[in-house]
Amino acid sequence: MKIPISTIKFVLPLVFLIVSTATPVFASKKDDTMVIAFTREILNLDYMQTTKREYIMLSDLIDETLFHVDTETFEIKPNLAKSYTYVDDKTIDVVLREDVTFHDGSKLTADDVYYTYQYVIEDNMNKPHKTTVRWLKSVEKTGDFTVRFTLKTNYPLALRDMARRIRIRQNNIYGTTGNYDKNTQTTSLNGLGPYKVVSFDPGKVVVLERYENYYDSPKGRPAIKRIKIRSIPDLGTQQAELMTGNIDWLYNVPMDIARNMGSTGRAAHLEGPSLRVGFIPLDAGGVSGKDNPLTKVEVRRAIIHAIDRQGIVENLVGGTSEVIHAACHPIQFGCTDDVAKYEYDPEKAKKMIVDAGYPNGFPLDFWAYREQQVSEAIASDLTKVGIDVNLRYSKLSALNKARRAREIPAYFGTWASGGTADVAAIANVHWSIDSDRNLSGDPKVTELMLGAENTNVPGEREEFYRKGLQLISDQAYWVPLYAFTANYLTSKDLIFPIPKDGLPRLYSTSWK
Amino acid sequence: MLRYLLRRGFMALLVALTVSVAAFVLLNVAVDPAMAIAGEDADLLLVEQIREQYGFDRPIYVQYFEWLTRLFHGDFGESYYWNKPVGELILSHAPVTLQLALMAIFVTVVISIPLGTLAALKQNSLIDRIALSTAVSAQAIPNFWLGLMMIILFSVTWQIFPVSGDDTFAHFILPSFVLGASSVPAVMRLTRNGLLDVLSSDYIRTARSKGFGGIRLLLQHAMRNALLPVVSVLAVQLGQKLGGSVITESIFAINGLGRLALESILGGDIPTVQMLVFVFALTFVIMTLLADLLNAWLDPRLRLG
Repeated sequence: MKIPISTIKFVLPLVFLIVSTATPVFASKKDDTMVIAFTREILNLDYMQTTKREYIMLSDLIDETLFHVDTETFEIKPNLAKSYTYVDDKTIDVVLREDVTFHDGSKLTADDVYYTYQYVIEDNMNKPHKTTVRWLKSVEKTGDFTVRFTLKTNYPLALRDMARRIRIRQNNIYGTTGNYDKNTQTTSLNGLGPYKVVSFDPGKVVVLERYENYYDSPKGRPAIKRIKIRSIPDLGTQQAELMTGNIDWLYNVPMDIARNMGSTGRAAHLEGPSLRVGFIPLDAGGVSGKDNPLTKVEVRRAIIHAIDRQGIVENLVGGTSEVIHAACHPIQFGCTDDVAKYEYDPEKAKKMIVDAGYPNGFPLDFWAYREQQVSEAIASDLTKVGIDVNLRYSKLSALNKARRAREIPAYFGTWASGGTADVAAIANVHWSIDSDRNLSGDPKVTELMLGAENTNVPGEREEFYRKGLQLISDQAYWVPLYAFTANYLTSKDLIFPIPKDGLPRLYSTSWK
Repeated sequence: MLRYLLRRGFMALLVALTVSVAAFVLLNVAVDPAMAIAGEDADLLLVEQIREQYGFDRPIYVQYFEWLTRLFHGDFGESYYWNKPVGELILSHAPVTLQLALMAIFVTVVISIPLGTLAALKQNSLIDRIALSTAVSAQAIPNFWLGLMMIILFSVTWQIFPVSGDDTFAHFILPSFVLGASSVPAVMRLTRNGLLDVLSSDYIRTARSKGFGGIRLLLQHAMRNALLPVVSVLAVQLGQKLGGSVITESIFAINGLGRLALESILGGDIPTVQMLVFVFALTFVIMTLLADLLNAWLDPRLRLG
C-alpha cells in the first residue's frame, strides 16, 4: 500500500511533537532537584495563616523561628536567638544573632522580631495565633538585637511555641497597626529559611532553591539545591509518578500500598514513628444525654476491655505502631505508663455491661471521620459484647459540628500534638473545661492536666500529668487506642532521615 | 429564525438562573459560610463576627439578589479559600479545561465517527458487533479506572506519556483520551444509526441509480445528512466536558476548572463554588442552545415547532 506524501508530511511532525514533549522530566540527583508530592494543595506560602501539616513542612524550608526543636532530643535550642534569659517566671530576654538575612538580603534585627510578635498579639482572632496570645502579654524592643517578652502567666511551653508556631517576618511586611493585610506573603514570601521561593503556582507547584547566604543554623546547610513541591490529589497517580522517577518523596502512604511499592524495588519504603495517637473519648459527663450508659464507669471500663487493640495494631496499622494505655504519646514529656491498664477480655466486658444494668446491651452512636477499617473493627468488637453500635462515619466537619452541638457520645479521635513531644500539646485542647472534646465532665481532670501549665519546674509538671493521666485511665474517660506509624516512599537515590516525632524535616534530605 | 433565537435564548437564561438559585440555596444550607471562613475549631465569637461582617446573617434571598446584582456588574466575588477574586481564579483555570475538553472532543470524533461509519457500512457483520461491543464497554468503564489503567500502561510500563500535570501538549494526551472515551458510545451509535437511515433513503437510492457509489456517495451525499445530529450532540458533549472533568483532572493532576471546583467544595468556598456552578450551567446551556440553533438552521421544520 502506498502512503501519500501529504499524509507523511502531516503525521511525521505530529509524531515528533508528541514524542518530544512526552519525554518525562525526571526528578533527579543529576540536576540536584528533589520533587515531592502532597495530596493536599498548597494555596498560600504563609504559615502564619494556617496550621496544616504540609504547611509546617513547607514553612520549615522557607521560614525561621527564634528557637529550634532538636530532632533527636526534642530540646529547645536557640536559633535566630543567640541566647535567652528568664528574668523571672514571666519575662524572657532574647538576644538575636547578627548574621541572619532575609531572602531579599536585608538583615534581621530586633525590629523584625518585635513587629512579628506585635502583629500576632494584635491579630489575636486569627486561629493560628490563638495559642500564643493565650500566654503572651507583650513584646518590646530593648536594643538593636535584643527583645523582651512578657508572659501573661507562667507558661512552660513559651519557648516551644516560639520554636514551632511563630515564623519571623520582616518589619511592616503586613502593613501597620490597624491596617494589616494578612495576604501580603501568600504568593511570594520573603523568609529567613534555608530555601527561598523561586516560583509558586497555587494549588499546583512550589519551586524552592537553596538560599546561599543562609546562616549557620541548627538545621544545618541543606544538601539538595532545589525542591519542587507538587500537588497531586490522587494517591494512585502519586505512586505512578514515583515509579517513573518523576517524584522522589511521598508521605502519609497507607501501609499496604507502601509495602507493595517497596516490594517492587522501584521505590524505598520507610517506616517511622508518629506523634499521632488514636483514642475514643467517652461521654462520662452525660453531655449527649443525661444518664446515658457511658456515664457509668463500669460501662466505660467494659468498652476498653471489649476492644482488641493489639489485634488492630498488628493487623490494620502495622509499622512502628503500638498500643497506648495513657491519654498521650509515650515519647511525650509527662506521659506515663503508670496508669490502670485494661486487657482485651470480651467475656469480662460482656459481664460488666450486664452487671451495670444492661442485660440486653444498649445502643451507641459511634462517630468516626478517618481510619475507616479501624473504626469498623472497633464497632465490630463492641457489637460482640452486646452494644448495638451505630457507626456514623462522616466528614470531619460534620463530626465537629455534632460535637459542638453536644450530640456525640463517643468518637474515634486522633491528635498529632503539632509534632510537640510534650503532654501539654495534647492536654490543653482535650481537657479544658470549655473544650467540646472534653466529655468527662470532671473538673478534677482539667485541674490536673492544665495545672501542669502553671509551673516551669519539670518535676512538678510530671507529677500533675501523672495524677491527671491516672485519673483519666482509672475513670476510663478515654479509650486510649494506639500510637500511629508513618509510612514514607522515597526514590532509591534519596537519603531521608526518619523523624522521631513524625514531622518530616525535608531540609535534612540528601542524595546517596 | 429571530423569534426562535429569542425564545431559545430566553429559555437558556431561565435555566441558568434556576440552577444558580438551586446552587445558592443548597450551598448555604450545606455549609455555614461564616464557619468555613473562620475554620474548624474557631471561636464562636469570631464566627459571629464574620457572619455579621460578611452579611451572612441576612435572609438568604437578600444575599442571593445581592450576588446576582454584583454578577451583572461584573463582580464575581472574592474567594476566601484561595484569597483571590473568583473571576481571576476562573479565568486562570479555564484555558487548561478548555484545551482538555477540545482535545477530548477531538478524540471522540476520531474514534467514534470512523467506527460508527464502518459499523453502518458493514451492518450486522463482525465489525459491527465489535464496534457495538466497544461502545457498550466504553460506556461501562468508569473514568478513574480507565485513567489509572492508561497511566500504568502508557506512563509506567512504556513511559511514552507523562503521568500527570498540564505543562506540555503531551500531558493532555492521556486525560483527553480518558475524557473523550466516555462520549464515544453515544456519538458512535448516533453515527451508525444516522448513516443506516440515510443509506436506506430514497435520494441515496436515486444517487446510486445515477451511478454514484463508493466513497464519493458516502462523503458527498450520505455523511453530510447523517452527521447533522452528531454535530449537535458533540456541541452538548463539549459543554459536558467543560464542566464535568472533575475526576479526570484529579487523576491527572490537571489544574483546571474541575479541580478548582473539587478543592473549593472541600474547602467550603461558597463564592467560588457558586460561580463555578453558574459558569458550568451557563456553558452547558449555551452549548445546547448552539446545538438547537444549528439544527434549526439546517432543518427549517424545527423552527416552526
